[in-house]
Amino acid sequence: MLDPVMFTGGVYKHDLVTELIEDLGGYLLQKNVTQSEVILLMLVPHEDMPALEAMTKELKGKLERAPLAGTEIAVVTPTLAIHHLPHPACDVAEYIRRHGAKSNMIGMGRGVAREISQMDEFETALINEHDAVVFTFGNFADCILKKEHLYRTLTVPVIVTGGPEMKKEDLPYAFEYVKNVGRIAHRSRKATEIGSLDNIIAAVGRALDSVRASISKDPLTTTPPRAMEVVREQVPDVTQSLSPLPIALNLNGLRIKLPYEEYGEAVAGVEFDEGVTLGEIAKVMPSRMKNYILVRILPVSETGFVV
Amino acid sequence: MEMDPLEVFEVEMPGEGYGAEKYREIIMDILQDLGLIRSIGRLYVYVDIEAPYFAVFGMIRGKLPPLKVEDVGDLVAAEGGYQITVEDEEHMAGLIRALWGAYGREKVEQPDRNVLVVLSEESPGGLVVADTETEFRRDLLDALVRIAPEGFRNRRNEMAKDNFFFLAAEETITPEIIAEAKEKLGGMRDA
Repeated sequence: MLDPVMFTGGVYKHDLVTELIEDLGGYLLQKNVTQSEVILLMLVPHEDMPALEAMTKELKGKLERAPLAGTEIAVVTPTLAIHHLPHPACDVAEYIRRHGAKSNMIGMGRGVAREISQMDEFETALINEHDAVVFTFGNFADCILKKEHLYRTLTVPVIVTGGPEMKKEDLPYAFEYVKNVGRIAHRSRKATEIGSLDNIIAAVGRALDSVRASISKDPLTTTPPRAMEVVREQVPDVTQSLSPLPIALNLNGLRIKLPYEEYGEAVAGVEFDEGVTLGEIAKVMPSRMKNYILVRILPVSETGFVV
Repeated sequence: MEMDPLEVFEVEMPGEGYGAEKYREIIMDILQDLGLIRSIGRLYVYVDIEAPYFAVFGMIRGKLPPLKVEDVGDLVAAEGGYQITVEDEEHMAGLIRALWGAYGREKVEQPDRNVLVVLSEESPGGLVVADTETEFRRDLLDALVRIAPEGFRNRRNEMAKDNFFFLAAEETITPEIIAEAKEKLGGMRDA
């Protein structure tokens, strides 16, 4: 059992933390250096947490649980116009990021209006590459009800956010509905607004748990963090990628931020200690996001073994 | 007519109580951002979410006089012309442009960052620097477009001397919709 945690501390001696994680058999997911401070997102074996806590105390850093670490969440707005951005969509995305997830903002091409809004195949497929999605709708109950067709075809859990109080049974295709978010024209800073953001995080957490539960019924051949570690070792070019997170973790695979045409084969050919290659236990395909590589690890029922 | 800034501000949205309350906040935020609250006396907003359309009627508080050179800086007679010292640099660009237009570039000097010297016999005090009325109308329309929900892409606005009417709808705007919106807003004003 790996615990997702976030370490915040000084750059000085922070490599002691990364070395400790390696020794304990944990994984470093992301490292962000901002001037003299560093933020490390990690997965640590549950039984070794005291060792990391002691090290954090010695370095005078801060260790927090990051419940959403290792997941990618889409935050979808009806358009990218001033009516929907930056508030509250950016507040939601930033808040999700602070809890350890990688959040991507997606503005739909034709998401506006009650009667004419629509979502195309590409947008649906792009959103389906994430682990969960948060839709930010407005203040009119009528519009929230009538925009259901935008997310009806999605296969990932959908968290719908909006202003008014809605009944759960009125939104059968949403995993959960979070009220009091709606359209606002200022930054979320009041206690009630921050409280609503906390509700979104809790809802996203429950959505991810439901995905985890369904994966555990037919477990993956290998865990995404392990696949990430192997790719990082054997395709060293990925460390030169300019993306802030060169390998993004999903619950059922990875997104590698390298061009598919150039590196697709190299990624598929990556070999595990047990002798199998990544191409044998996972689908390696082009991602809808730019020309990145998408890896979807196959379940045990398809491969017949665990590495 | 004498009015206090936003002395009447009513939002009506039948069946959408929450929306009405939130749109009040949104309208306040946007008017505040664009610095328009002091220029609007009364504001009535009516939204029919069934139709759907979004209608606004507002009354403007008095006409804003155009900004003149003597309003933006201290004007003193100097040797061979006039010297203008500007405290607030917001209108500096407009001021220089107006002076260049009236006297020509060679007659306007800028010995210091906030000082201008005009080589002229007559005082430039009465020269218009900025037409605040036009700027206000432009900002007002910008605010209305920002306030209306984004899906309402068909818009119509009627700007009069002391009031304005704005209508946004999803479907094509027909004379019937305009008449209905005006009737609803009229009802709110009479109530």
